[in-house]
Amino acid sequence: MQQNFKHKVSNWGNFPTVEKEVKSEDSYLNIKKFIANKNEIIARGNGRCYGDSSLAEHIFSTKKLNKFISFDRINGILECEAGVLLSDILAISVPQSFFLHVTPGTKFITLGGAIASNIHGKNHHLEGSFCEFLLAFTLINERGEILNCSRSENSALFWASIGGMGLTGIILSAKIKLKKIETSYIRQESIKAENLDEIFNLFEESKDWTYTVAWIDCLQRGEKIGRSIIMRGEHALLNEIPQKFLEKPLAIRQKFSPTIPFFFPNFILNNFTVKIFNYFFYAKQRVKFLKNIIDYETFFYPLDAINDWNKIYGKEGFIQYQMVIPKENGKEGMRKILETIAKSGNGSFLAVLKLFGKGNPEAYNSFPMEGYTLALDFKVNKKLQNLVQKLDDIVESYGGRIYLAKDSMSKPSLTNYLKNVKNPKFNSLQQKRILNHN
Amino acid sequence: MIVLGSNSEIAQAFVEKVLGEGDRFPVIYLLTSNPEITEKFVKHLDVKFLQHAEIVNLDLEKKVDYNKLDYISSDLLFCATGFLGEDSETGLYNNKNTEKIIGVNYAKLVPLLNYFAQKMETKRSGTLIVLSSVAGERGRQSNFIYGSAKAGMTAYLSGLRNYLFSKKVHVLTVKPGFMATKMTDGLPLNPKLTAMPKQAADCIYKAYKSKKDVAYVLPIWFLIMMVIKNIPEFIFKKLKL
Repeated sequence: MQQNFKHKVSNWGNFPTVEKEVKSEDSYLNIKKFIANKNEIIARGNGRCYGDSSLAEHIFSTKKLNKFISFDRINGILECEAGVLLSDILAISVPQSFFLHVTPGTKFITLGGAIASNIHGKNHHLEGSFCEFLLAFTLINERGEILNCSRSENSALFWASIGGMGLTGIILSAKIKLKKIETSYIRQESIKAENLDEIFNLFEESKDWTYTVAWIDCLQRGEKIGRSIIMRGEHALLNEIPQKFLEKPLAIRQKFSPTIPFFFPNFILNNFTVKIFNYFFYAKQRVKFLKNIIDYETFFYPLDAINDWNKIYGKEGFIQYQMVIPKENGKEGMRKILETIAKSGNGSFLAVLKLFGKGNPEAYNSFPMEGYTLALDFKVNKKLQNLVQKLDDIVESYGGRIYLAKDSMSKPSLTNYLKNVKNPKFNSLQQKRILNHN
Repeated sequence: MIVLGSNSEIAQAFVEKVLGEGDRFPVIYLLTSNPEITEKFVKHLDVKFLQHAEIVNLDLEKKVDYNKLDYISSDLLFCATGFLGEDSETGLYNNKNTEKIIGVNYAKLVPLLNYFAQKMETKRSGTLIVLSSVAGERGRQSNFIYGSAKAGMTAYLSGLRNYLFSKKVHVLTVKPGFMATKMTDGLPLNPKLTAMPKQAADCIYKAYKSKKDVAYVLPIWFLIMMVIKNIPEFIFKKLKL
């Protein structure tokens, strides 16, 4: 039997692609053995980070740690293994009138990944990031010890691991608190903004809404720079949804999801097609102000409706560039960023803008800080490194930083913010890349 | 529902598939030789599907006490017990290994399947789903002991199906081909020929509902085995397969 068989593996951005050992196990005993025999191990969930965060010489896939452990249906406390997907959680919690407190733009991430990246959602400004609703987790460390970690037990390890990118060990299971909902629908308002001033005002004005996010057309220049649509939402109450939904207020919408069957050839995505897409996205909403009730899938996970959408960026893959700029410099910084992108001609589909609230100082390894965050998708090509460098310089000059879960080529000085994670056993290609540059 | 080999990933995926489709059972009996691991699955089924499951300790390598199984009865049985063992070179010289392969995959499994088949015969209803293997279609030097045990199993199931047909009991033989599971962990399998447990579960469920007799998880394996079976023996013996 051949051991250490290597697999071609890449994360959601299909960049970079490496050949490494991938091991998956559900027996804790065998996980211990694996850790004892290897160095440079990193845990990998569903591979929905974009870059090289969950790549290493020896990848431990948590896919087989996919069991639920307990569900207190009265208090909404759920315990499950680290490889359980948020989509699996929603499938059982929504019919029981519970939702995730914090969810990113895809439900296809694992619980372990959510902790390791301390993910944020559209409600960060009010409710903070994932760790605020994380009660405890178990982690297997470099010595193969299984430790319970919470605010009261092994609290140093608890906080170092939150946002710690898997560098403190392998998270095996976790216990989270869910949010009570009356319906599975969202009361949404979407408002078109002509430019950057308007969208920033709208964010300020919407700060009491639980969920806010804006889609921004980053190919606009001059006066139209920052042309965007802000979407704000609340979990709809029973008395807010239309009669036709009342029969099943907690329904999970089963939609047909098409699959992108193959990598699109390179020429399909270019500046011109992105421009057309952005034009239609903006024009689709005819009125300035739109109010409606929509299902949570459409509100939170519009891209999950298309399986393998990452393939439209072609074989070379793409990167997602997500930075945050502190609030006081927010508008000025964003203007410079958008100008630089428009000038570069490297258009991004669906640039997403969002206002973060204050970070939790205890969760010191987390990405969010009070300010504006922008996430952009760029196809990998020859000009990209150059653009990223320019954007990095702007982000740095305004005191911002880069989200590690998306990073694959940014300046180390923007990504070397992790503390207390140095470990002889656990290391990712991302950390090696970042720290070697220092 | 009765599950033999409850820690098998295919078995667990199949149970989840059936429950996901909305079927429920008074109890799911999870027969296993390693109950500690199965414990996790019991909790999982409770949280995910509100389905009660019960672990039944059973080790095919030891003597099976049928009195202890007396209370267990169901219309659906899924059997995924299996042991791949070492490959040929050591297989030829390792009698202990050989006995285990033949025992777990055939000799000791047949009486157990007989036992549950009798119950279904009496009730004149039920379905037996049993995982055999494409390895049983033709003995090859790389795993002929495992292959011969599976060949026996395939022949047994064919006969059992024939016998039970008039008794309204359905027997489904599944030939998975390469599977990405614990059993094959570390083997360099071609991804195009390898199925994931979930995929297998979907396919088996479909075959079960449409009352198929024999199901290949990946259709390509039907073609591959057709070719392999039709190679004349005087050529086959010289091949390295």
